[in-house]
Amino acid sequence: MARMKFLCDAERCIECNACVTACKNEHEVPWGINRRRVVTLNDGKPGERSISMACMHCTDAPCMAVCPVDCFYKTDEGVVLHSKDLCIGCGYCFYACPFGAPQYPQVGNFGSRGKMDKCTFCAGGPEDDMTPAEYSKYGANRLAEGKLPLCAEMCSTKALLAGDGEIIADIYKERAVRRGYGSGAWGWSTAYKDKATT
Amino acid sequence: MDAEKKRAGLERRDFLRVMGAGAAGAAAAVPLLAAGPAAAVETADQRVKQRYRETDHVKKYYATNRF
Amino acid sequence: MLVKRKPTAAGRGTGMFGSVAAAAPMDRRAFLKRSGLAAGGLAAAGAVSSMSMVGKAEAGPTTPGVEITRKKSICTHCSVGCTVTAEVQNGVWVGQEPSWDSPINNGTHCAKGAAVRELVHGDRRLKYPMKLVDGQWTRLSWEKAIDEIGAKLLEIREKSSPESVFWLGSAKFSNEGAYLFRKMAAFWGTNTVDHQARICHSTTVAGVANTWGYGAMTNSYNDIHNSKAILIIGGNPAEAHPVSLQHVLRGKEINKAHLIVVDPRFTRTAAHATEYVRLRPGTDIPLVWGMLWHIFENGWEDKSYIEQRVHGMDKIRAEVKKWTPQEVERVTGVPGDQVRKVAEIMAKNRPSTLIWCMGITQHTVGTANVRALSILQLALGNIGVAGGGANIFRGHCNVQGATDFGLDVTSLPAYYGLTEGAWKHWSRVWGVDYEWMKRRFVSQKFMEAKGIPTTRWFDAVLAKPEDIEQPSPVKAMMVFGHGGNTVTRMPEMRKGLEALDLLVVADPHPTTFASVSGRKNGTYLLPICTQFEADGSRTASNRSIQWGDRVVEPIFESKNDYDVMYALAMRLGFGAEMFKRIKVVNGQPDPEDILREINYGSLSTGYSGQSPERLRLHMEHQADFDRTTLKASSGPCAGEYYGLPWPCWGTAELKHPGTHILYDTSKHVMEGGGTFRARFGVEKDGANLLAEGSWSKGSEIEDGYPEFTYGMLKKLGWHTDLTEAERTVIEKIGGANPDGVSWATDLSTGIIRVALRHGCSPFGNAKARAVAWNLPDPVPVHREPIYTSRRDLVEQYPTLDDRRDFRVAHLGKSLQAKDVTKDFPIILTSGRLVEYEGGGEETRSNKWLAELQQEMFVEVNTQDAARLGVKDGAQVWVHGPEGNSRARMKALVTDRVGPGVAFMPFHFAGFWEGESQRSAYPPGTDPIVLGESVNALTTYGYDPVTYMQETKCTLCRIVAA
Repeated sequence: MARMKFLCDAERCIECNACVTACKNEHEVPWGINRRRVVTLNDGKPGERSISMACMHCTDAPCMAVCPVDCFYKTDEGVVLHSKDLCIGCGYCFYACPFGAPQYPQVGNFGSRGKMDKCTFCAGGPEDDMTPAEYSKYGANRLAEGKLPLCAEMCSTKALLAGDGEIIADIYKERAVRRGYGSGAWGWSTAYKDKATT
Repeated sequence: MDAEKKRAGLERRDFLRVMGAGAAGAAAAVPLLAAGPAAAVETADQRVKQRYRETDHVKKYYATNRF
Repeated sequence: MLVKRKPTAAGRGTGMFGSVAAAAPMDRRAFLKRSGLAAGGLAAAGAVSSMSMVGKAEAGPTTPGVEITRKKSICTHCSVGCTVTAEVQNGVWVGQEPSWDSPINNGTHCAKGAAVRELVHGDRRLKYPMKLVDGQWTRLSWEKAIDEIGAKLLEIREKSSPESVFWLGSAKFSNEGAYLFRKMAAFWGTNTVDHQARICHSTTVAGVANTWGYGAMTNSYNDIHNSKAILIIGGNPAEAHPVSLQHVLRGKEINKAHLIVVDPRFTRTAAHATEYVRLRPGTDIPLVWGMLWHIFENGWEDKSYIEQRVHGMDKIRAEVKKWTPQEVERVTGVPGDQVRKVAEIMAKNRPSTLIWCMGITQHTVGTANVRALSILQLALGNIGVAGGGANIFRGHCNVQGATDFGLDVTSLPAYYGLTEGAWKHWSRVWGVDYEWMKRRFVSQKFMEAKGIPTTRWFDAVLAKPEDIEQPSPVKAMMVFGHGGNTVTRMPEMRKGLEALDLLVVADPHPTTFASVSGRKNGTYLLPICTQFEADGSRTASNRSIQWGDRVVEPIFESKNDYDVMYALAMRLGFGAEMFKRIKVVNGQPDPEDILREINYGSLSTGYSGQSPERLRLHMEHQADFDRTTLKASSGPCAGEYYGLPWPCWGTAELKHPGTHILYDTSKHVMEGGGTFRARFGVEKDGANLLAEGSWSKGSEIEDGYPEFTYGMLKKLGWHTDLTEAERTVIEKIGGANPDGVSWATDLSTGIIRVALRHGCSPFGNAKARAVAWNLPDPVPVHREPIYTSRRDLVEQYPTLDDRRDFRVAHLGKSLQAKDVTKDFPIILTSGRLVEYEGGGEETRSNKWLAELQQEMFVEVNTQDAARLGVKDGAQVWVHGPEGNSRARMKALVTDRVGPGVAFMPFHFAGFWEGESQRSAYPPGTDPIVLGESVNALTTYGYDPVTYMQETKCTLCRIVAA
């Protein structure tokens, strides 16, 4: 079975933020919640590189391991999802996540947190696929529609890859060979380790 | 509800691939997402099942990335 | 229709953001908007009970069971021309999908393109016509608005003259809209009609057209795949044209091409360069001559190409000789070794391409900069070659088309100019009598006189009558689709606005024009829809023309440009004549029919073969076109280039494939080949201006030749190839002198057809001009900016003397003489951010974009910041050298800019000298993000050829606030 993965090609990413607005557009994510964001290292200096970041859907997802109410689940194809009905907004997963993926809306005047929200790999949540109920809590379910995450599909320079881990690894390898150099696929080993088979 | 069966015809947007103009004719398309306000919740098995398929859409995505 | 849209009031707060919207019914959009603003960190958001994004079940973006249709249009932001695929349900745009089949964007978008759906939800759009009544915005009907505006215009025309109305059009018009607007100004009786090209690439158009014939990108974004070296100078496409980087990086990877970025600022583009060159702002010519110095010194130039296809290179050599490595380093600050390295890379890795943007064009030496770069590419033999070219990335989505259709104070559509011949040609096309047309103007002199450019309109308002070469100063301004913070010297501009009798802003947003001044009356806002709500074609930077389908009907009370222009023309009394040959149904002109009129008249630029039917066919069969050559190998468009890039000669029936690469002699003219245009005569001072020993493949004339006329066909004996009908048309047009009818005025297109049949370019086969004797500097020379930090160089490299042109004064030396460096020691330059576009009102009103860039800022070098005691993130006051100008903003301390240089983005407005102007916008239409405008600080300085403004080099003082 295919294993869903993200890969960001740092040689290509130009920090255009298309992935961020594509995500907002597809899921109508509210102001202040960013399921995906672009991080720039060495900003303004030689060696500047940008990387698009979201939930990496880890093989050994630390968020799942620490969740006190066990609201996470992982699909057979490696997508880490959660139930907002179960989530208590405690923020533990945020501490555990190496990528800073979990987001929390502010729901009151005293900084109280709402239910966690994060990238779903455009795969919805526990409600029935492609129903309004699913959309309103988790956004679109593009995987069920036979598509891939819109952030990757719309990436301006084809830096952000998403899909079957074997295929995107292959695409990336072809690029690295063609270039004769490469910066490595950022976050890949942290998220998927060696045991990430497909 | 049988999720597999539902998905077979269930591309939220795909069924109008026919593109704008032809749509009038193709409008016989059945309302696909008639799950009412009382939304059903998936079973444990349904939750984790595979959804990804290598559709034409996905193949085009890969092809443009090899480009 | 529009069942789901609830025009709720937008927030109006006092901070950088509006406060939270008033309680609205709990639909999903309102809910999200509300919680979003709360999460944005401000205001006591009405605490939403359980933020699990749970809304009402039926509140998803799509409604179950309702038909969804797909529409294809073109992104309305930059000139790359990305296809947008929209999903529409119940008349509402509910989703955006990748457009895999577009050979230009391959499914991708940048932040702006991926957020265009929000433009058409448009919470903060102008929703109905409004006018200012004693300082209060008041709603009125369309009928009343048009009637009042028309009455006032006619009154001004009566009391002053038609020359007192300034018509400002838009690079966001469709081709059909741009053409109509130019036509409307003509029928009104003035040439004072302009648009954004004046302030982005007017110097490019003037520079390259004066060198080899046409003012456009010579190759395409896709063709960069073929380049072995890529030099980007004065451009930051990673932010300005992000999807173009897909092609640039592909070239870099596939060919292991060198990517050289030359910019005073280490941009996001520079981050991907193999070589970054930092130069002092305003020293591009010394750098280019410095490169040519090495090229000539080492004999790296393409000698046979120069001999066959270039005029006057010897005079360039003489100038270049002065630019020794030492002098180049002294003036530009670029190390001598690096200049040599870059020159060698460009010379030894051919084909090499040259890309430039506004860092080159927006200077007092803009046209000369462009010419120097063009000459560099000519010396290397890189023009007319796949992988080479002058790949000029234009700005707005249709700035190329709007330029082509004459939203320009110096020309009628398709670069015919303003001569009597040009007016007669267009009068014939429009089906109106030339004498009638002449009576629309003050006199024939004004009919043939250049108008007032948009960089100077306020000078023309404020001028004393004796200082302006027209009957009276400007009294009314008609602005369609143009920001109010995009022109330098905003403090003067505000005064100009306040002095106008009438200001009309026709735009989806109120724009800065509506909010920046202290006007109390005589101001109208007309809600125009976006191009996603209208049909029409647009021309991408590479000259490909793409047809966009209307995605949804215009939202709220907005109308499209065509309908509004029609209503206005009718009210002004010339509608019947203006729309004589254009189909109008229920007050709505048919855009396809407008395009047919364009096809009929725009022969000179090869806009005649792109019929609406052919353009639609291309959009339908996008997948058939090659991603590098843009040529279709199968399907109904086989053999044609995507979007029929102009020139696409003759009628649609001739089936010319369009021209992917201009001036490419390796192809037959009927396969998109061409030569340099014979535009400047056949001889100059005894030297032959026609090509020697070079011709396009298959040409029956195997040498240079002048442009084709009926007389020339006769001399060649080819006139017998004309049909009887063609000959009749030619003889009718020619009257007493049919031999003088040229390929560009022959409405039968017979001359073009016959020339092509014999393998010849209708416009002739000439040499490109390294020396352009009609320009103020025939050979480009370095001139220091007016506000230069290098006083030691002023004497040796002075700016031009004070002069007059375009009906107003143009100051140079008298301003440069004053040394202000003591009080204003830091160079101020400006540029783009990826999230915003142009003046930014539209994009700052888009919540998905606005969230990403919430504050105006100034980049200050770390050394300067330390010296000035400015901390990263702290507020500073920046002072400009003219009129005590000042602006308050956040400091971003970074080495992205060099010591002594500060940078500001130019997309902000809505703050003035530290004060918010949010309350000056009509309620609910204020952009989410406001900020100070860089143009509040920018100063005097104009290119002598086009009056392009200087935005890239002025001086400032920065102090901690």
